[in-house]
Amino acid sequence: MNPLALLAAAPAVPYEKAGRFVAAAFIVLFACVLIYVAIMATKLQRLERDLSELNRALDEQERAKAAASAADEPPVGAEAS
Amino acid sequence: MYGKGLRALTLATLVALTATFALVVFWAPNDADQGFIQKIFYVHVPVAIVTLVAYVVGGIFAFKQLRTDDRKWDVRSYVVIHIALIFNVVGLLTGAIWAKASWGHWWVWDEPTLVSFLIVFLLYATYQPLRFSIEDPERQARYASVFAVIAGAFVPLNFMAVRMASSLVHPRTFATAEGGLPGEMMFVFLVSLVAMSLLFWLLVKYEITQKNVTWQIRALRRRLLGDDAVAPIGRSAAPTIAPEAAKPLGQRPRVSYENSPEARSRGPEEIAT
Repeated sequence: MNPLALLAAAPAVPYEKAGRFVAAAFIVLFACVLIYVAIMATKLQRLERDLSELNRALDEQERAKAAASAADEPPVGAEAS
Repeated sequence: MYGKGLRALTLATLVALTATFALVVFWAPNDADQGFIQKIFYVHVPVAIVTLVAYVVGGIFAFKQLRTDDRKWDVRSYVVIHIALIFNVVGLLTGAIWAKASWGHWWVWDEPTLVSFLIVFLLYATYQPLRFSIEDPERQARYASVFAVIAGAFVPLNFMAVRMASSLVHPRTFATAEGGLPGEMMFVFLVSLVAMSLLFWLLVKYEITQKNVTWQIRALRRRLLGDDAVAPIGRSAAPTIAPEAAKPLGQRPRVSYENSPEARSRGPEEIAT
């Protein structure tokens, strides 16, 4: 039997109204997932910010270490004289 | 690595969800009694099933936490119950929409299926405040695990009790003497169940990965910049993943949960998968 004819024979809710309810149910699911994704995006941004800060700190530490080791090295030709 | 396989899982979830929605809208036959409105069934029922199964899984993880005292099980149990709560809200809302369309009311108080699902939700809604009320992470993990085990055992008992009770208006679809779903509807339902299960597992995996990365960055910050650069976690409902958790019971330091010299020297440690 044609589903539409079947629906017309025994409709619990008019078709256009039923569509709205079904759409609402799917929208609820999508909205909840989207809210969750938005929260995760915020956390991800925070992690990215923290990681950039750590990268900067590491660069500074490496620069300081390089400068210190350069200062410790004896000048070129100091041993010969 | 918790992030491993995340891309494949995301793609599989996307394909399964798209297939579900396409099948529901274009292929699944309309119900003879309810017509198009019955299609809410393909969202509502799989979400409800995944929710209840997840609560039981959360209880199993909590049981493992109690047996091994390994903090990774507490994290898993917490995240599974956390996502199950979100699914529970979706189940309640889609059920209310379906009830309004079918029965003309958003909620029917004398229907055991609906009320029992609400009771399960309210029971688990206390899980987060319970965790938040306990500051000591070890006690928090232990008490929350006890709660999750007891509540997880309550879920199937509650389901069976409702199943045995005589329903007033809520239909029984599976394993009934009347025969259950026709083949096409059953196929779409199973595809939807797989899609919702994948979506659930994906969200769990995302959250555990995020927590793991957060912990590793905190540990890295401590090693690079020292203790002063790391803000205290403070009171939190979420478990704090510490390297000490990997130690067997009785060998872990009681006080310095995250700031022990041992933890600093060892650095970040992942939760074993």
